[in-house]
Amino acid sequence: MMGKETIEQQYKKEPKRWYRNLLIAIFLVVAFSWSFSTVHLKITPQGAGVAGKIISGIFHPDTTLLFNFTSSGVAYLLLETICIAFLGTIVGSILSIPLSFLAAVNIVPKPIAVIFRTIIMAIRTIPPLIYGLMFIRVTGGGPFTGLLTMSLCSIGMLSKLFIEAIEDLDIRILESLDALGCTTFQKIRYGILPQLFSAFMSTIIYRFDMNLRDATVLGLVGAGGIGAPLIFAMSSYRWNQVGAILVGLILLILLIELFSTRIRIKLARG
Amino acid sequence: MELYDKIFKPKKMELSNGKVVLEKASRAPFILIVLVLAILLSAKITGFQLSILIERGGQFFVILLRMFSPPDLSYIGKVINPLVDTIKMSFLGSFVGSLLAIPFAILAASNLVNNRVVLIVVRLFLSIVRTLPTLVSALIATYIFGLGTMAGTIAILLFTFSYVGKQLYEQIETVDMGPFEAMEAIGANRAKGFLSAIMPQVLPAYLSVCLFCFEGNVRYASILGYVGAGGLGLALNEKIGWRQYDSVGTILIVLFLTVVCIESFSHYIRTKLT
Amino acid sequence: MIEFKHVSKVYANGVKGLFDVTLKIEQGEFVGIIGLSGAGKSTLLRSVNKMHDISSGELNVNGNEVKNLKGKDLRKFRRKIGMIFQAFNLVTRTTVIKNVLTANVPDMSFFKVLFGLYTKEQKIAALEALDKVGILDKAYIRADQLSGGQQQRVALARTLAQNPEIILADEPVAALDPVTAKQVMNDFKKINEEMNISILINIHHVELALAYANRIIGIREGQIVYDGPSKDVDQSILDQIYAGNIPKEESLHGTL
Repeated sequence: MMGKETIEQQYKKEPKRWYRNLLIAIFLVVAFSWSFSTVHLKITPQGAGVAGKIISGIFHPDTTLLFNFTSSGVAYLLLETICIAFLGTIVGSILSIPLSFLAAVNIVPKPIAVIFRTIIMAIRTIPPLIYGLMFIRVTGGGPFTGLLTMSLCSIGMLSKLFIEAIEDLDIRILESLDALGCTTFQKIRYGILPQLFSAFMSTIIYRFDMNLRDATVLGLVGAGGIGAPLIFAMSSYRWNQVGAILVGLILLILLIELFSTRIRIKLARG
Repeated sequence: MELYDKIFKPKKMELSNGKVVLEKASRAPFILIVLVLAILLSAKITGFQLSILIERGGQFFVILLRMFSPPDLSYIGKVINPLVDTIKMSFLGSFVGSLLAIPFAILAASNLVNNRVVLIVVRLFLSIVRTLPTLVSALIATYIFGLGTMAGTIAILLFTFSYVGKQLYEQIETVDMGPFEAMEAIGANRAKGFLSAIMPQVLPAYLSVCLFCFEGNVRYASILGYVGAGGLGLALNEKIGWRQYDSVGTILIVLFLTVVCIESFSHYIRTKLT
Repeated sequence: MIEFKHVSKVYANGVKGLFDVTLKIEQGEFVGIIGLSGAGKSTLLRSVNKMHDISSGELNVNGNEVKNLKGKDLRKFRRKIGMIFQAFNLVTRTTVIKNVLTANVPDMSFFKVLFGLYTKEQKIAALEALDKVGILDKAYIRADQLSGGQQQRVALARTLAQNPEIILADEPVAALDPVTAKQVMNDFKKINEEMNISILINIHHVELALAYANRIIGIREGQIVYDGPSKDVDQSILDQIYAGNIPKEESLHGTL
C-alpha cells in the first residue's frame, strides 16, 4: 500500500480536462447568442390564428379531396409521389454504384478516390430545387422531372453509405475462396457481393423513405407529386384541404416507414 | 410468407441415413417479379421515357454551363449575409432541437419507462413530427411566424428534434443496463442513475448524430429560402427567377465551400468521438 | 446485523424463490452462500437491499424493516450496502476514478451529477479506495482497458468509497480465471478483516467458498439446508446442497 504522499501525487496527475470543457461551453454559448438574431419570439395574433386553423383543418379534413381517386385526388397524387420516389431511388442507385466504387480507397488509388468524392460532394451540395429547375428544361414540368431530380439528389447519400459499406468489406473471405480454388469472378460473386448486397439494399430502402418526403416537396417547383396542391391550398387558405393533404401524406409515410423498417430488420438479421 | 410456402412447396431432400431436410423454395423470383412490376407501373405513372432523356438531355448542361462560365464573383459580397443567416438558422435549430430531443428520447426508451401508453404516445409523436417534410413545416411556419429566418429555424428545429430523438432512444435501448442497476443498488434515484450510468454510454453516439444532423441541416437550410423562410434560398430563388445564372453559380460555389468546411470539421470531431 | 425471520418469496408465476428462511448474520461475518443455479442464492442476496421484494416474513437489516422501505428511505438505506456484480457493471467508457466516484452520486445534487463536479475530498477518498485494492496507478485509465480482475477491483473500490457496512457480492469471480479469482477473494478477505464489513458472497465455486468464508449457507430449492462454519462442511453436506449434482472435481478433495 502506498502512503498518503503518493495519493496526493496521483491526485495532481489528473488530466486537466476542464480547460477544454470550458472552452467548448463558451464557444457554444457565443454561437447560440450569435445565432439568436435569426429568431424573433413574437407570434402575431394572425399567426396564431393560422396555426389553429391548420390544426382544425387536420382534424376535419376535406374528405372529398382525400378520397377522390381521380387524377387530381389526394390518393392518386400520393401514388404518383411514391412512384417518383421509387424510380428515383432506383435510378439514383444505378448511378451511385459505379461512382461509389470509384471513390472507395480500397478499390482505386487514393487520388482518384479523392477526385470522385469531391464530385459526389458537389453533386450533393446542389439543392434539389436547382436540379428541379434544370430538369424542367429537359423534360418540362411533371413527374418525370421529379424522378430525375430525385435520382441526382439520392446520389449524395447513397454514395456516402455505399462507400462506407465498400470500405468495410471483409476481404478475409477472399482468402478462403482462393484456397478453395475459385476464379476472380467467383470470388467477387460469392465473397464480395453477398456482403455488399444486404448493406446496399438497406441503404437503398432507407433512402427511398427519405426520397418519399423530398418528393412531396418537388411539387413546389412543379415537378409533380403532392407538393403543388399543398401549396395551392395553403395560399388560398383552404385549411380543410391542407388538412386532407397533410393527413394523407403523414399516413402514407408512416405506413411505408413501418414496412421498410421491417424489411431492413430482416435484411440485417438474415 | 407462409402462404408462399404453401403455394410453392419446399423441396424434400433425403440424406443417405434417412433424414429428410426441407429446403424452402427461393423467394428471389417472387421478389424479382414484384420489383419489375413496380418499376413498370411507376414508369407509366411518372411518364418515364428514355427517349426524351436522350434527346433533350443536353439541355441539362446548358444551365450548368451558364452557371459556371464564369460565375459572377462580384456577387460574393451580397452572398455573405444570407450565408451567415443560413448557418445561424441551422445551428440554432439543430442545437435546440437536439436538446429538446433528450427528454422525449428518454420517455420513448422501453428500458427506462415501463408504461406502455407513454412509450407508444411519445414514439408516435416523434414519428409524426419526423414525417413532416422540412419544406412543408417551413411553409407552415411562414404562415404562423411570418416570412423570414424564424420560420426556417423552427422547421430545422422540428426535424432535428424528431431525427435525433429517434436515434437517441434507439441508442438508449441498446445500452448495457448493468451500471444502471449498480447505481440503483447503491441508492441513486432514476434520474441520477441515468446521468451517471447511461448518459456516458450514449454520449458519443448522441453527439455524433447531432453533428451529422447539423451537417445535413446546413444544406437543407439553403433551400428553405425557397418558401420564404430565410437564408440563401431567398437569394437563390430571386436569381433563378431573374435567370441570372452566373450569380446562381456564385451562390452554389460559396455554399459548396461552406459545406465542405463544416463537413470536414464535423467528420473530424465525429471520428474523435468514437 | 441481518436477520431473516420466516422469509418467503413467491414469484408472479407461482414459482417459490425462497421458502421459510430464518437466518441471523452479525456484523463482520464473512458468509459464503452456495447452491445450484436457480436454487435461490441471488434471490436471498438481493432481498437484503430490496433489489428483490419478499412476499412474506420479516427481514431486518441494521434496524430497518426492509419490506417497509420506500423511496428516499430506501435509497438512504442502500447507501450503506455495497453490491458487487458478476459482470462488474462499470461504465466502461469512462476512467477508473470516475467509476469509483459514482459512489457519491446519490448524495449529490442533480446539477453536480450532470456536470461531474466532484469535490477534492471525494476524489481523494476515491483514490484511497483504489489504493486499498492495489490499483492506484490505474486511476486515470479507461475502465475497458483493464483486465477482468482489475475491473472487478474497480467495482470493489467503488463499493469501498461508499463506506458500506455490508457488502453483497453476486458471483463476483464467476467471470474470472482461477488465479485472478483468488486475488479478488483475497481482497474481500482483507476488507472483511481490516474494516469489519459484513460480506455475503454468492458463489458456485465451492472450494473458494470453503477456503475464504467463515460461515457457509447452503441453499437448495429456496430453502436453507445448511448453515454453519465452513470447516464443518463435508462431502455429505455438499451432496445434500447440490442434490448429488456436484461433479467430483468440485468436491472437498479437488484441486486448490
